[in-house]
Amino acid sequence: MDGKLEVSLDRLPVKRLDAIEENGLEHFPPDVGYDERRLSLIRRVDFAWAIEKDDNKKQKKSSKESSKPWQWQGMVENLQLAHQELSIIIDLINTVEANDAVTVAGMTRPKPLPNEVLSDLSVSAATKLQCFRHLGKYFKQSAKALEQQVAREARFYGALIRLQQNWKVKRQRGAASAPGSEGFTIDLFDNSLYDPAAVFRPSSLSTVHVDHDSAGMLSINLPPNSYRSLQFGFSGPHTDDSLREPFKMKTSSTRESEKESVSDDECVKETHSLLREVHQAIFDEQVFDLVSREAFNPSLGVNVTGIQENYLQMSIGQGTSVFISITPSSQGDQTVESSGTQNLDNAILPLDTLDGVMLPEEEQDTPKQKWGLPNRVSYEIYLQQIFHEHVFLRAKDRPIYAGNRISGQGAKDGCGLLVHFCMSLSHRIFSNKVLMELDNVVCRVPYLQLISHPTWHSRTSSWTLFMKVPQSILRAGCLAHTSNNHRVKNVIKCQFQTKVVVNDDCINVEGEGAPNVVGLFKGNSEEISSMNRYNCDLADLSVIILQQVASQIIGWLHEEALLVGIKVNRDFLCLSFELEQGETLSLVAHVDPEDTRGCISWWLVMDDSFNEERELHIDISDGASEYKKFLGHLSLDVLYSTLMDLVSLCCGGGSL
Amino acid sequence: MNKGGAGGVGGGGSGSSGGGSGPTAAAVAAAAQKQKTLLQRVEADISNIVDNFTHLVNVSRVNDLPVRNSQEAFMMEMRAARMVQTADSLLKLVSELKQTAIFSGFASLNDHVEQRTVEFNQQAEKADHMLARIGEEAAASLKELELHYFSLAERASDIPQL
Repeated sequence: MDGKLEVSLDRLPVKRLDAIEENGLEHFPPDVGYDERRLSLIRRVDFAWAIEKDDNKKQKKSSKESSKPWQWQGMVENLQLAHQELSIIIDLINTVEANDAVTVAGMTRPKPLPNEVLSDLSVSAATKLQCFRHLGKYFKQSAKALEQQVAREARFYGALIRLQQNWKVKRQRGAASAPGSEGFTIDLFDNSLYDPAAVFRPSSLSTVHVDHDSAGMLSINLPPNSYRSLQFGFSGPHTDDSLREPFKMKTSSTRESEKESVSDDECVKETHSLLREVHQAIFDEQVFDLVSREAFNPSLGVNVTGIQENYLQMSIGQGTSVFISITPSSQGDQTVESSGTQNLDNAILPLDTLDGVMLPEEEQDTPKQKWGLPNRVSYEIYLQQIFHEHVFLRAKDRPIYAGNRISGQGAKDGCGLLVHFCMSLSHRIFSNKVLMELDNVVCRVPYLQLISHPTWHSRTSSWTLFMKVPQSILRAGCLAHTSNNHRVKNVIKCQFQTKVVVNDDCINVEGEGAPNVVGLFKGNSEEISSMNRYNCDLADLSVIILQQVASQIIGWLHEEALLVGIKVNRDFLCLSFELEQGETLSLVAHVDPEDTRGCISWWLVMDDSFNEERELHIDISDGASEYKKFLGHLSLDVLYSTLMDLVSLCCGGGSL
Repeated sequence: MNKGGAGGVGGGGSGSSGGGSGPTAAAVAAAAQKQKTLLQRVEADISNIVDNFTHLVNVSRVNDLPVRNSQEAFMMEMRAARMVQTADSLLKLVSELKQTAIFSGFASLNDHVEQRTVEFNQQAEKADHMLARIGEEAAASLKELELHYFSLAERASDIPQL
């Protein structure tokens, strides 16, 4: 309110005479009732100022709002008005309820206006439409989820079908049949054994559970180090190679993390590989089981020298110890396949018999070390192969081709396989030693050749020492003058052979050259030398071979001398010429396997029958005696010319 | 209702997959019964879906009464949920059929196994022939090398002459 205040004064409430009549009657104004008086007072209040104020406010508001009209202003005002009316009605109803004297007689709903009907209808329609849209979204979501589930199942079952083509898939019902895992397992146990009495317990690895991974794809989860593989090796101080991982494919440690990015095909392939590894692990365990059982049967050639859990050490012949163990195949190792192929690439071609694949160790310097222990991996494979073929295959299913290496050894039952294996191994080591001896001999005798004969038998080895003698120019001309037998002999005797055969650890030498005693007495050249066959030890092998060769040379020189027509006598390693004065000139062979300049050396010995003090010494002393002369290590050509010189000496006479 | 698990072992229940060789009469009857059951399930599910969808479409009319509209809204949700549930059960049925196909297709499995056996035998034979050939070639090479080595002239000249 402004400071301006208007005050109006009422007239005093004094009764004033309105009128007076002539007779003196007074007329006063009628009395005003209480209500009327109050009403007149209320009317006299001047509300102009409030009305003006409201008008001012309204004008201001309209001036403001005329610049920015709000689209919902009308609706807001309508709602406010409706709210006011509703509050009035509610107040009225409350008053009526509070007042018992007054009750509501009746209410009638006002007839809805057309626009209200239409708006109600539109609201309902919109609500229903919204409901349908919501349902539509729900259906789409469900369809998508079901499609994904179908796709996941298709992947899973597709992979399972592919696995089932190679493995035995089993279904387990009654187990926790959660939607994620329907209880599929893969049975890796091979019950098609040749010998059912072998009693193989199904190992814990035999049943592999099939799980789902996070993408719904089939996966097989095996704890690390859960399966083991067979290891075979040589134990002892002379082994020089550290134990390598078995020659198998290994899975890389990053396989799990890369699983999401591989395709289904690769996933199935990896699963195949994993199952194959487990299958092999089961086989290895069975082989180890069989080996352990056989090892404790008393047998020659196999002695158990050490035993631990999953480890068995045995001593086979030749001072060698081997061990067989089952060790966990740890995942995450480097792929051994690459190192295995590297080994193959760097392998030196074996100069040995080819019983199975044999790879020598790393390159060695001296020939003695070259023929060390055989390759560990090849014998590991061999062990697995013979057990697989003779125990795990049914007799009727044994393939026809089997037998390149095993057929010659006859049928083996389960209890002889380990013995056979150990004897093969010891034979290999022994034959290496034999070959070393032969190699030493052949290296030092240049006219001697070594020919290897692969026997394709794991316990037999064979070599031939071959010597070719120079062709005599007289030989062709003398054919007509000699007997038939002699001519045949002369035609054949261009080469001499000595055959060395090793069976297990038995050396058998066969060759001509060593004269038999009867032939010596008879003096018949046909019976002097014949094919001899005898056994010998490893220590004596070199000497025996050299003696054989030297006697073959003596025999050849003897034949050549006879061809020329000179009378010569032949002893084991000695060829004697008779001189005119009754003296004997002998060409003597001396064999010494330790001689590095050559194993066969020649001496010329003069034997005077008048002097009994002279003896035939065969030693390596310098031939200073006038009755012995050291000729040296002669080649065959030089020997032949020496012979011719001696022949001419015998014919021409004269003295030394 | 579903069969107990057994894979790789000849057994009953292959009638649905094309008539196994020599199943017993009981197995044939069981297979026919199972087939009938599955078909019934399929029909029930499909009629369920159609029925629910029909109802869903039928209540699309807008009524004057809002309460009826609300009722119909709730009913629509219920019908939709039922439809999805039925679709899920159909898919489960498909899974069961797939499993049955995996474990009961004995004829094709046996054929495949035999084929693989033949393949592997051939591979093994080939490998064995190859190994034998390698052995022979190695033996021939060894012989050649030995002859060559021992016929070297310089080897013969190592021996001191007289």
